[in-house]
Amino acid sequence: MASQTPAVVMDNGTGFSKLGFAGNDSPSFVFPTAIATKGPAAGATSGSGRPAVAQKPSFLTGGAGPTGHLSAKRGTEDLDFFIGDEAIAAAAGPGYGLHYPIRHGQIENWDHMERFWSHSIFKYLRVEPEDHYFLLTEPPLNPPENRENTAEIFFESFNCAGLYIAVQAVLALAASWTSSKVTDRSLTGTVIDSGDGVTHVIPVAEGYVIGSSIKSIPIAGRDITYFVQSLLRDRGEPDSSLKTAQEIKEEYCYVCPDIVNEFAKYDRDRSRFLKHVVTQPGGRQVTVDVGYERFLAPEIFFNPEIYSSDFLTPLPVVVDGVIQSSPIDVRRGLYKNIVLSGGSTLYKDFGRRLQRDIKQLVDARIRQSEMRSGGAKSGGLEVQVVTHKRQRHGPWFGGSLLGSTPEFRSYCHTKAEYQEYGPGIVRRFALLGGPGGS
Amino acid sequence: MLRLDYHNVLIHSVLTERFSGAPPVSIDQTVSDFDGVTFHISTPEAKTKILVSLQIRCFQDLQRYGADEVLRREYGPYVVPPEPGYDFSILIDLENLPAEQEARDELAMKVALLKRNAMAAPFEQAYQEYYQLKQEAAKFTSEEAPQGVREGGEVKAIHYREEEAIYVKASHDRITVIFSTIFREETDRVFGKVFIQEFVDARRRAIQNAPQVLFRNDPPLELQGVPGVKNTGTGEIGYVTFVLFPRHLTPQRMPIVISQIQTFRDYFHYHIKASKAYIHSRMRRRTADFLQVLRRARPDSEEKERKTASGRTFKVAG
Repeated sequence: MASQTPAVVMDNGTGFSKLGFAGNDSPSFVFPTAIATKGPAAGATSGSGRPAVAQKPSFLTGGAGPTGHLSAKRGTEDLDFFIGDEAIAAAAGPGYGLHYPIRHGQIENWDHMERFWSHSIFKYLRVEPEDHYFLLTEPPLNPPENRENTAEIFFESFNCAGLYIAVQAVLALAASWTSSKVTDRSLTGTVIDSGDGVTHVIPVAEGYVIGSSIKSIPIAGRDITYFVQSLLRDRGEPDSSLKTAQEIKEEYCYVCPDIVNEFAKYDRDRSRFLKHVVTQPGGRQVTVDVGYERFLAPEIFFNPEIYSSDFLTPLPVVVDGVIQSSPIDVRRGLYKNIVLSGGSTLYKDFGRRLQRDIKQLVDARIRQSEMRSGGAKSGGLEVQVVTHKRQRHGPWFGGSLLGSTPEFRSYCHTKAEYQEYGPGIVRRFALLGGPGGS
Repeated sequence: MLRLDYHNVLIHSVLTERFSGAPPVSIDQTVSDFDGVTFHISTPEAKTKILVSLQIRCFQDLQRYGADEVLRREYGPYVVPPEPGYDFSILIDLENLPAEQEARDELAMKVALLKRNAMAAPFEQAYQEYYQLKQEAAKFTSEEAPQGVREGGEVKAIHYREEEAIYVKASHDRITVIFSTIFREETDRVFGKVFIQEFVDARRRAIQNAPQVLFRNDPPLELQGVPGVKNTGTGEIGYVTFVLFPRHLTPQRMPIVISQIQTFRDYFHYHIKASKAYIHSRMRRRTADFLQVLRRARPDSEEKERKTASGRTFKVAG
């Protein structure tokens, strides 16, 4: 039977978890990576890697400290928790505290994560983990110890049949194979992954992340929302809540080729100003004007100085810098395959603008070196930004694509292998979808 | 979450969303459920026609015990010929839905319970057999009852997993449900035993009206002569027997009893895993405590007196 069951693909991100089965074109469940447990919210445990420890050495009291009250419980309190949207609903009421087990892409609280997984598997996906193979994702530069911890949980607690842990950026590259622009299905490229909290630029060569060249930008979806909100506030709109700002951002925003021209276009043509109707709690309807923020909001990627005062490097310059700091023999491949992933890259014409700006930087540099060399001619350099339909859940979709290939299982580590070699086995995985693969 | 849900959450949420009047979109999703059941939700013809197909490995067993009637009763107008590769299909036309919201919710829930309803057939049949046998048995005193009545009906075997099966047997005063479970993992076996012991003891302690539970490693006598029952003697396979008494067998309680007993195996495995998670979290806590102790335990810096060649003394730390 185990030969027919689809692999389970889980992409646990900082904000949202994407769960589903390999072979599907969209995740079955997308919900916040949040868990609500009995007791107050974790002020003490947040931020530190370990659960908070007692002030006194508590080996005599059986680990009972300020938060070490687990052993005193003999009931079923450890089963009393919610995850995802239910967790957020439960935390609004009394008695439950909300926790986010993943911070900055990395799992910080393994207790919560283990329970989060257990609920995802048994309540939402409804699978017996012994029958299924699992494909999990991890951020680039995840410490190998985290992989081992994950493997321990999956093999020891859940007895899962097999496990593969893939890097999100590599899966995002695989997801771009659905685009018609991609012809050769290589795993070399630059991934721009922009989620809610942070934007990463990750160069990948032949399926391996070039760790030393990764750059992150502190501008992402949430900042765009804040920026829209501040614009609404400045104008004194009747409703400038974060939710409204987010709706406007998602519905109306796009990337323009040139801000000055765009301002002029708006002034000539009043029909470009739109109205957004908000239904407030209580049923009252308010109309909010939507104006320049339509193109100004995503512009903070290209001209960060209009939003932030401490981070001033535009995204195209960062991308160019990342590729320039990578080994010279892969740069051509990195320029040729710049892949977008994550919700904040979905703006219309985002890819086109990025491609144009990077191309300008590259061409300027080529011209300079041509001048310096005195007469030598460059063959030019191809810059291509790939946009595709699966950008929003890019890593998940890549996982689904690779997880449904017939040879996926042979790349996984099985329970028997784990028991033979121990958790250290998951430090290395054969490259899925790489050369020799499909 | 103490008990698992009986319905498939994904099917329920997809249908509820579709039924709420959202614009029709094309769907094509393969979804798994417990026990190797596969669902396929798709919109093959038009975006408004949702086809839900079910594939279940013991469908032939279930058909033998009347699954067709049960499914027709539950999904009557929606049943269509099964999609190739699947065992049972229903088609829902979004333009032809019940008008009231409540009826729509009910329909979504009903479809989400597809697996439960398919698996319910042998149990329902056992209930019917029990009612018949009870009537017949009422005509006799226990000693002089004819052989057929005393022994009860035949054993219904549902091979719902590769190596595991549920056996259902109706008698005139009880229904016996036997699960054969397999544990590949030594740890799981130990956890499993502890759990089952709790079930066995529950009746003895407080809950008088719980069904009787028995656990053994060799096939119980009810399964003598049933094909496919092996006695491996290694203790890998355990047999959990539930004896349902007349108080569980009233027609009013039938649906809930069937739902609960079906999910027993998954419930059992879920709790084994949850208790492992609990033990792991205690282990982590203990490790953190020990690390804290180690961090505090710095060696005291001893001050030593040393002498120089000229006879002067000075103190050195460490």
